[in-house]
Amino acid sequence: MTTVHVDGAWSQRPAYGPGLRTPEGERRLAELAGTRKRLNGCAAAAYAALYANVDVITAYAIRPYTAIMMNLAQFIADGILDAEYIHADGEHTQLSAAFGAGSCGARAFTGSSGVGVTYAYEMYSIISGARIPIQMSIADRTLDPPGDFGSEHTDALCTRDMGWLMGWAATPQEEFDKSLIAYAIGEDPRVLLPQMVVQDGYFVSHISGEVDMPSAAQVDSYLPPYRLPFPLDPRQPLSHGPQIHPSQGPPLQLERARAMEDAIPVIREKTDEFAQVFGRQYPHFVEEYMLEDAEIAIVISGGHSVTCRAAVNRMRERGVKVGMVRLLWIRPFPSGDLRAALRGVKAVGVVETNLGLGGSTYGGILAPDVTTALYHAENRPHVTSFMAGLGGETVPTAEFEWMAGKLTQAVERGGVEKPAHWVGFEE
Amino acid sequence: MAIEVTRQFLPLLEEEGRGAATDDDAGRDLHYLPDMPDEDPYQAGHRTCAGCGPAIEYRWVLKAAGQDTVVAGPTGCMYVANSTYLCTPYTVPWAHTPIASGGSFTSGMAAGYEAMIRKGRHPGPYPNIIVMAGDGSAADIGLGSISGALYRNHDALFICYDNECYANTGIQVSPTTPYAGLTTFTPFGKANPAGKVLPPKNLAKMMAEGHPHCYVATTTVGYPVDLMNKTRKGLNLRGAAFMHCYTPCQKGWVYQTSMTVELGRRVVEAGLFPVWEYDPENREYHYFHPPVQRPVTDYLAMQGRFGHMLPEHVAATQVAANRNWQDIGMDVPAELREGEDPDKHARLKDETYSMPLNRGVGA
Repeated sequence: MTTVHVDGAWSQRPAYGPGLRTPEGERRLAELAGTRKRLNGCAAAAYAALYANVDVITAYAIRPYTAIMMNLAQFIADGILDAEYIHADGEHTQLSAAFGAGSCGARAFTGSSGVGVTYAYEMYSIISGARIPIQMSIADRTLDPPGDFGSEHTDALCTRDMGWLMGWAATPQEEFDKSLIAYAIGEDPRVLLPQMVVQDGYFVSHISGEVDMPSAAQVDSYLPPYRLPFPLDPRQPLSHGPQIHPSQGPPLQLERARAMEDAIPVIREKTDEFAQVFGRQYPHFVEEYMLEDAEIAIVISGGHSVTCRAAVNRMRERGVKVGMVRLLWIRPFPSGDLRAALRGVKAVGVVETNLGLGGSTYGGILAPDVTTALYHAENRPHVTSFMAGLGGETVPTAEFEWMAGKLTQAVERGGVEKPAHWVGFEE
Repeated sequence: MAIEVTRQFLPLLEEEGRGAATDDDAGRDLHYLPDMPDEDPYQAGHRTCAGCGPAIEYRWVLKAAGQDTVVAGPTGCMYVANSTYLCTPYTVPWAHTPIASGGSFTSGMAAGYEAMIRKGRHPGPYPNIIVMAGDGSAADIGLGSISGALYRNHDALFICYDNECYANTGIQVSPTTPYAGLTTFTPFGKANPAGKVLPPKNLAKMMAEGHPHCYVATTTVGYPVDLMNKTRKGLNLRGAAFMHCYTPCQKGWVYQTSMTVELGRRVVEAGLFPVWEYDPENREYHYFHPPVQRPVTDYLAMQGRFGHMLPEHVAATQVAANRNWQDIGMDVPAELREGEDPDKHARLKDETYSMPLNRGVGA
């Protein structure tokens, strides 16, 4: 397994204690333990950061993720959480400040939406390349134009190749859990990668669901204190981010690529550990729904999967052999798990709640990855994709049924009509 | 309960007789003999140019700050020239930041240490946190990020080492490039004989006026004790401090490499870079009044970047200098007043000036 090669630094690294909680925080978490709260996705993310006892929060206002930061500001005002709360002058500053805090050994938390995510774009590669495992909580939003508050996955997906762990949560409970799981994976010394925990704007971020509140002890046992092996600490001086000679580029880039691959077994391990501590077992990478005997399958990510599951149920009642695969992680992309889940399926349709203008399917961003993963399958299924839910539009069950119809046609015809369908604009 | 954050205190160096105000008769060499701290966190192992002003500034700042310090360096010549993978000139922790992130990354470091010490994660004491950003970073692309950091009053020292151009990328104009300064983005030619036509941004005044709760100071590499004491004052004061330091760039300005420190005094004596301190407690500016007032030609003619200047350009620079003299409360001698008239000037390369140096382009 590839790690950062600093011989000796691991044994000599300065000690970093667990962070103290405030007395009010201890009291509040004791009250919450074992209760079930109704929270929307934003509040769920904020509660996760509270339980994770983050040290530094960097905030800037943009809808819809803002409510995460509003909740955290209130926790601090109430004395429940002791953290430095930086009112950034923009998303670039948010990410830079979180990077600076994380580089010193502080657990840092930030977030954004839509064009805010892209405003900070410079920082993504730099932070992952520096191996600083900060967390960014995104409630996604359509990029401009058009001026639109609605959910679209394009904002976060734009950054998919920048070396961050990335995955969508479909419910507030999953958002809460995934925030903790992502910190546990990202901060693991075998991984050391920043994480994007993404939820659909409004569909998840602003709709309440029930969330089980753990005890502080549960969280502390699952998520140990953040200990960066190479902090900016006068007790052990070192330099971060120097210039390199071109000949040093390939090995360093190879190490970054391997870091993503090496995260895969840790994601499995931390997902299972989470189940042991909290009693909720998530699939490692892909949720398989009604796939046992499925001939056609819809591949989806995020909150629209809730509707998709209902549509699958309805179609199953009518005898359509349809299933669903939900991707819990987009980076690292679960090629192997996806292939395994879709073995035996004859046609696959990828729901693209995003825009990939001029890409290989002339549709969205996900289908090319899915297609590549499936290209190496033994019985390669037909693959197409569906542009749906753009601009924050809902994807009603009727649309999933229409998609299933296209997939059935593809099976019958022995090929897909086109690589990307614009749902609602075609017969 | 939260743990109290202990902070460092750095004693000031004795200025008597060797501060910035020491005049020529008293022996300017005294400037070279401060009781420099033994600590030298900016070591050999870098690739700065001969006569590099920023390298002098880096060394003095880190001598003043000492070993219990964390430093950030946004992209700029002092990133590229100082850091080479597997080799570092720093014996203190140092991190590169993107060019626009000088203020923001440093905010994060300060916030991280505040939280970690308060929550018992780090034993402290709170380190000296310093960022040294070039003028492109501090006055241009990262201006907002530094302003944000000053506004939020993080306990850190934000330094602009000002070599009046984007030197790293091949001498391009920055907001602090002086009027008529030659850069590769402001060449002179038949249609535009001046080169740069805009006056420079007043970065330090903007920082002081816009963040009146912050300690703000200007200094140059001509005054080591002044530079080190302002560094220590900025670090001692709890909260954000900003220091604007004039640092000549031999490669960009084209002068004799031994003249870096001399330029650091002449720019002040020519009235083109006022040295001052802003005291946030009393909201007062304390201006340094140099013992010598020189015509701007004494400064300009030492540098190749001004070699193309025509009489009207020299006169316009003297007008700007005279305004500076008035701003800092000094009288403008008649000789300098006369210099506002283009008819009193020749082309710069034909002007007489006070140092027996080769002059003109490539001096």
